[in-house]
Amino acid sequence: MSQVALISGGGGGIGGAAAHKMAAAGMTVVIADFDHAAAETVRGEIASAGGKADALSVDVTQTREVKALVIDVASRYGRIDVLANIAGGSMYTKRMEEFTWAEWKQVIDANLKGTFLMCREVAPIMQKQKSGRILNTASNYGVTGSALRTPYSAAKAGIIAFTKSLALELAPDGILVNTVAPGPTDTPRVLEKESAEARNRRWSSIPLGRTGKPEDLAEMYYFLTTPESAAITGQTFHVNGGVVMP
Amino acid sequence: MRLKDKVAVITGGAQGIGRAIALGMAREGAKIVVADLQGEKANSVANEIKALGHGALAVEVNVASESSVKHLAKTTFDCFGRIDILVNDAGIYLKSSVVDMTEADWDRTHDINLGGNFLCCRAFVPAMRAQKSGRIISMASGIGYYGMKQFSHYAASKAAIIGFVKALARELGPDGITVNAICPGSANTAMPRGHRTEEEVMQRLHSTPLPHVLEPEDIAGPILFLASDAASYITGQAYNVNCGTYMV
Ligand SMILES: NC(=O)c1ccc[n+]([C@@H]2O[C@H](COP(=O)([O-])OP(=O)(O)OC[C@H]3O[C@@H](n4cnc5c(N)ncnc54)[C@H](O)[C@@H]3O)[C@@H](O)[C@H]2O)c1
Ligand SMILES: NC(=O)c1ccc[n+]([C@@H]2O[C@H](COP(=O)([O-])OP(=O)(O)OC[C@H]3O[C@@H](n4cnc5c(N)ncnc54)[C@H](O)[C@@H]3O)[C@@H](O)[C@H]2O)c1
Repeated sequence: MSQVALISGGGGGIGGAAAHKMAAAGMTVVIADFDHAAAETVRGEIASAGGKADALSVDVTQTREVKALVIDVASRYGRIDVLANIAGGSMYTKRMEEFTWAEWKQVIDANLKGTFLMCREVAPIMQKQKSGRILNTASNYGVTGSALRTPYSAAKAGIIAFTKSLALELAPDGILVNTVAPGPTDTPRVLEKESAEARNRRWSSIPLGRTGKPEDLAEMYYFLTTPESAAITGQTFHVNGGVVMP
Repeated sequence: MRLKDKVAVITGGAQGIGRAIALGMAREGAKIVVADLQGEKANSVANEIKALGHGALAVEVNVASESSVKHLAKTTFDCFGRIDILVNDAGIYLKSSVVDMTEADWDRTHDINLGGNFLCCRAFVPAMRAQKSGRIISMASGIGYYGMKQFSHYAASKAAIIGFVKALARELGPDGITVNAICPGSANTAMPRGHRTEEEVMQRLHSTPLPHVLEPEDIAGPILFLASDAASYITGQAYNVNCGTYMV
């Protein structure tokens, strides 16, 4: 039976690329996103390429929606082999004192709380299977910090520490938990906000001389689902052209 | 086959982790130079690879000797005409407390573990630069991060490799060459057995958070990934492979 991968934020740039990669490798992918149209688009692309995919709606910040999602996936497929928590984003760029409490919570919840809620519902299924891979998503900013992105940097640093703790909790059951930390990556949403030219200027210091592509990240998410990474847990994998070397 | 027709030089390839890397890369289609101080053992690994139907060459080398490394590079280019992947795996693991340590042990550790990285990179980087591509992967160690009593020279040499890798990654990024390190935890090879009883070794191997004994193949896997096209946007990183013993 093919492996089942649940991907939050699967309708987005990096999540969509990860879904494509895993489907091409023969996994059944469940694309979970609160942007249902985006999730549907990715599902359609995968299906027409001959892959197996479902698109389901979820707001990862809402306990009830996450519970319903995971029950739905479990009843459709009977198992979850891979959980990739990719939903998230920085949402705002402004000074700390300009953040309202609601905005602060929105950023923390979409990134950090969403990761927690998804893990909390999926982990028991993996514990019963005595196997599973959980892949969380941080950012280079979770290590370096970033002016004008205080809640985002805090949430991403939180995800790194959350991952380490959960890795220790789930290790006895043979479940691996790791973090992927993308650097500046050319997703449609990012390119909407900034021209490729301005972007290249801002990132001219990247040792490999270019910003990342969603496919670069997809390769790392996929690697962390394979037998080749069977001895790796609790770690953070920066994929960023060398812009940050922690 | 992810490494079809690539030429890979594996120092320390005669046994343990290096051997697993050599066999793994051969299975992915690469031609392998097994470079090791133990010439005879290197030869038998090369023969093993040839028996699987892949190209291989054994070269006896001391990575801490300038002239020996020059000879390694010349033999590699004479035989295969290029280099795509350099794995700096050769290393030694001596035991001594700081106060009892001889200068000779200190020097040997740094000459081989760190100096070997420098000499091998210096010998092979010009060819990678000329072709505007290449992969360098160096073997560091978790001990480079968390330290270990009676292994201060080893710890320092492995931490130094991480610094070297980051600096070299910055130097070579513009040429399309990536440079990364792998930091294994305690692995099931001859190396830890040099200083511990079999019982102590097994106890260490079984006391990781993940109930999984770290085998050479577990370390070879991530190295194959870093050598493949899938990892073309990764440089300057030190990835830990240790069954969860240490998390950076
Ligand atoms: N693109 C970059 O440069 C970059 C850099 C570092 C980290 N990241 C991280 O990578 C991940 C993916 O980013 P991306 O660039 O592909 O962004 P993206 O905006 O293209 O994708 C994010 C997806 O998550 C979904 N999403 C957001 N909040 C959600 C919620 N509450 N519930 C369900 N779905 C939700 C969005 O609808 C979107 O489809 C994010 O966690 C982001 O923080 C991105
Ligand atoms: N085994 C572990 O637990 C462990 C843990 C962390 C890091 N490492 C590192 O991984 C690498 C491989 O370790 P291993 O366990 O396979 O060790 P090993 O001792 O089995 O193999 C090391 C190889 O390097 C060769 N070598 C030593 N000095 C050399 C020199 N001057 N020139 C050329 N070759 C030389 C040896 O002949 C041997 O074949 C080493 O760099 C080691 O420090 C090992």
